[in-house]
Amino acid sequence: MHETEIHDLSDDADYAASQQQGSASIMRSDSGRQSSSSEPDGAEVVYSKDNVTIHPTQFASERISGRLKLIKQGSSLFMTWIPYKGQSSNARLSEKDRNLYTIRAVPFTEVRSVRRHTPALGWQYIIVVLSSGLAFPPLYFYNGGVKEFLATIKQHVFLVRSAEDANVFLINDFENPLQRTLSSLELPRAVSVGSGHSTSISVGESPLVETQERSNRNVRDGRLSVSEYSGRPRQKSQDPARDLSIHVLEKFSLVTKFARETTSQIFGEAHTNGFGAIEKRRYNQSSIDQPQKVSNSVEKVPDEAPIASDPLEKISCMKHNLGEEAATDVGNFELINCEEFDKLALVWGKPRQPALGPEEWVTFLDSEGRITDSKALRKRIFYGGVEHILRKEVWAFLLGYHAYDSTYAEREYFRSLKKSEYETIKNQWQSISPEQAKRFTKFRERKGLIDKDVVRTDRSLSFYDGDDNPNVNLLRDILLTYSFYNFDLGYCQGMSDLLSPILFVMGDESESFWCFVSLMERLGPNFNRDQNGMHTQLFAISKLVELLDSPLHNYFKQHDCLNYFFCFRWVLIQFKREFEYEKTMRLWEVLWTHYLSEHLHLYVCVAILKRYRNKIMGEQMDFDTLLKFINELSGQIELDAVLRDAEALCICAGENGAACIPPGTPPSLPIDNGLWYPQQDDVL
Amino acid sequence: MPSRRRTLLKVIILGDSGVGKTSLMNQYVNKKFSNQYKATIGADFLTKEVQFEDRLFTLQIWDTAGQERFQSLGVAFYRGADCCVLVYDVNSMKSFDNLNNWREEFLIQASPSDPENFPFVVIGNKIDVDGGNSRVVSEKKARAWCASKGNIPYFETSAKEGINVEEAFQCIAKNALKSGEEEEIYLPDTIDVASNSQSRSSGCEC
Repeated sequence: MHETEIHDLSDDADYAASQQQGSASIMRSDSGRQSSSSEPDGAEVVYSKDNVTIHPTQFASERISGRLKLIKQGSSLFMTWIPYKGQSSNARLSEKDRNLYTIRAVPFTEVRSVRRHTPALGWQYIIVVLSSGLAFPPLYFYNGGVKEFLATIKQHVFLVRSAEDANVFLINDFENPLQRTLSSLELPRAVSVGSGHSTSISVGESPLVETQERSNRNVRDGRLSVSEYSGRPRQKSQDPARDLSIHVLEKFSLVTKFARETTSQIFGEAHTNGFGAIEKRRYNQSSIDQPQKVSNSVEKVPDEAPIASDPLEKISCMKHNLGEEAATDVGNFELINCEEFDKLALVWGKPRQPALGPEEWVTFLDSEGRITDSKALRKRIFYGGVEHILRKEVWAFLLGYHAYDSTYAEREYFRSLKKSEYETIKNQWQSISPEQAKRFTKFRERKGLIDKDVVRTDRSLSFYDGDDNPNVNLLRDILLTYSFYNFDLGYCQGMSDLLSPILFVMGDESESFWCFVSLMERLGPNFNRDQNGMHTQLFAISKLVELLDSPLHNYFKQHDCLNYFFCFRWVLIQFKREFEYEKTMRLWEVLWTHYLSEHLHLYVCVAILKRYRNKIMGEQMDFDTLLKFINELSGQIELDAVLRDAEALCICAGENGAACIPPGTPPSLPIDNGLWYPQQDDVL
Repeated sequence: MPSRRRTLLKVIILGDSGVGKTSLMNQYVNKKFSNQYKATIGADFLTKEVQFEDRLFTLQIWDTAGQERFQSLGVAFYRGADCCVLVYDVNSMKSFDNLNNWREEFLIQASPSDPENFPFVVIGNKIDVDGGNSRVVSEKKARAWCASKGNIPYFETSAKEGINVEEAFQCIAKNALKSGEEEEIYLPDTIDVASNSQSRSSGCEC
C-alpha cells in the first residue's frame, strides 16, 4: 500500500508542488500575517509548516496540500490549515472542496486531543480531535514536523501525553479521570463509566450506527443543519453512555465527510463573524435538544457478553490483531494500515442522493441519444438509484443490453433484431408437440420445474397475483426460452427471482429476455452445477471479513461458520428475498453500476454482518442460530445505511479487498470464452 | 430409559423441488398452509417443542432447497442429523424415483456413524390433489421400496389439508430420539434395543 503510494508520487500534483516550494519549514515566522487572511490582528504565528496534506480519497491526485500554522493571540492558541491556491492541475478538485477542508482558526480550548501516527512506511500524520467529538481529517506531514508541532503546542497550552497511549496527547485535560480514560485508547469495554452504564452498550451503538444516524438526519432534512450538530456537546455531557460512544467515534476517527463539512461550516461561519463568535454560537445552540434515535432493538447486545470490538472502530485494536495474524492466517493479504482507516473516515456516511429523475437523465444524453459520460451516469446511479419511471430505459444500459454509445435509432433497430431472434429461440420449444415431449424427458422435467417455480414467484405482488395471470405465463415463457438459449445451464431455482423484477420493469417479453440474458452472463455461474460460482463468492466474503473484521472472522472460525452458507441466499439471488420489491430494484441498479467495484454485493454482505456483529458474537450464535438469524433479517435491513457501509468498506479495503476476490468471481464476466457450463447428463 | 441430557433433535427434510417440504414443515409447526410459499433458497429450519415420557425436546426441522444442483450444500446442513425425512409427491413418479438418490446423497454427505441403521422416514405428500385421481405412485409401490431399505416408516399426507402430518412427525421425532440415544449411549441396554427393533419393524404405526 505504502509502496504504491510512494511509487506513484511522480504523478502526484501535490508532490510536484512540494518539490517546487521547497521543504524548509518556517518556524516562528512573523510573515504569517501576510500569508493568510485568517490571522486576526495582534496574532503571532508560532509554528508554520508547509506541505501538510490531507487525503480526501484514495486517489493520490485528489490530495490537498496546505500550510499548517499555530497562531498565538493573547493567551489563546489557534490552529489553522489553509490549502494552497491553484496548486493543482486537477479539475476534480474544486475550489469548493478546498474550502470545505480548510481549517480556519480553531482555538485549542476546543481541542481535546492530538493523536500522532507513525506508519512504518509513509508519512507521519496527526488526527486532531475536538471536544465536540468531531475530528479533522488526518494531516500528513510530507516534510516532517510533527514533533515540533506538538512541542510548540506544549509551550502554549496544557498538553499531556496520555498514560495509556504514548501517541495520544491530551489538551486541557484537567485531571478529570473520566475524561482522561475516555481520551485514551483503551478498549471501549474496558472503560469504566461512573454512571453504571455498561460500556458494551456503547460498543453496540457503534460508530457505524452513530454515523448513519447523522447522515440519516442529513438526508431527511435535505440539507445540513449546523445547529443540530453544535447541540451535541451539551447533550453528551448529560448522557455518559452516549458520551462514550462519541468518544469511540472520535478516537477512531470514523468521522464522516459530512461531519467534517459541518465542522468546516461552523468554523467557516464563525470566521466571517469574527473570532469570539465561535464559542457564542456553539453555546447558544447547544440548548437545542436533539431527539435521540433509538437504535434498532435487534442490535442491542446483552451487557454481560464480552465482544471483541470492531477493528474499524478502533485503529489500535486493528493494528494489534492484524499485526499478530499477519504471518499466519492472513497469508499474502497485506495489512490494512491506519492510513486506510483514515481514508475510510473521509467517506463514511456519504449521504445517499435522490434517485435520478427524467430531467437529469436527459442531460446524460446527446441529441442522438448517446450517453456521453457513462461513468458519470454510473456514479450518479450508484449514489441515488433511478426513479422507477426511468428504469425501463436505464436498466437496459446498466445490464449491458444496450451500448452506452448507441443512438436512439441504433437501439430501435437493435431491439427489432433481438425481438425476432427471441422469437426464433422461443419457437424451438413451442414447436415441441405433446407426442415429441413424451420422448423428451429433459424438456418435460425442465418445464415442470419452471412451472412449479413461476407460480410461487412474487405472487403477492399485484403484477403477478391472481389466477391465470399473463405475467406469470411470461415469466415461464422467458425462463423456458432461456433454458434453450443456454441449454447447458438450463433452469435453476433462483432464476425466477432474478427475472421477476426485470419483467416487472421492462414489461416487454423480448426486452426482458435479453436483459435477463445479460444479467445471467454475469450471474450464470451462481447456478452452475458444481456451485463453483457460489463457493468463490462465499470464499471471497470470508476473506473480506478476515480483512475488515478479524475478530468476527475469528469468531466464525471458532464456531465452524467459515463456509458462510448463511449468506447463500443473499448471494445467489442478489438479496432479492431480503428487501421489499422496490428496495431490491434500487439495490440492483446500484450494484449493476459496477461503479466502485464489480463486487460491491460482497461488501454489502460484509456490511450487513458487521451491523449485527455484536449481536452475533454477544449471543454466541452457533451456525444454526446464525443461519436462522440471518434468514429472519429478511425485510429488516436498512438498505441505504447498508449501502453506505458497503461503499465505505469497499474504499477502505482498497486493493487489499480486491485481492480477496479471486479473478472471475461473479458477477465478473467469465475469464475464458470456452464452455462455462460443463454438459452433464443430469443437468436439468 | 437411560437418563441423560439431550434436548435438541435435528431432522432434515429432503425431496424434489415442489413436493411440499416447506408446506409439511409449516403445517406441522404452525398448523398453517399457504399457496404462496416461495421456492426455498439455501436452507432454513423451524423448531417445535415435543414431549416424550415427561421429557421435553426441541425438534429442529430443516427445510432445504429441492433442486439437485444445490445438493453439494448439504454437507453443511446435514451434519448432526438425528433423522432424515424423504418426501415425494404421490402425483409425480419422478419425485418418487428420486428418493433413492436423496437417501444416498444424504448418507454420503451426513456420513452418520451407523449408516445401515440411520433412521429415515418416507412421506408421500399431496394425496389431496384432484381427489386422488392424479395419483401415479401407489401406496403398495412406496411401501415396497421402504421395506427394501430396511423397513423405513412410511406415511401418506396432505400438508394442505393437514392429513396425517402430526402422526408422521411424531414418528420422525421418536426415531430421531432413538437415533440420538444410540449414538450417545454405548451400553447395550437390552430393553432399549428390543423396543427399538420392534418399532422399526412395525413401521412406526404404533
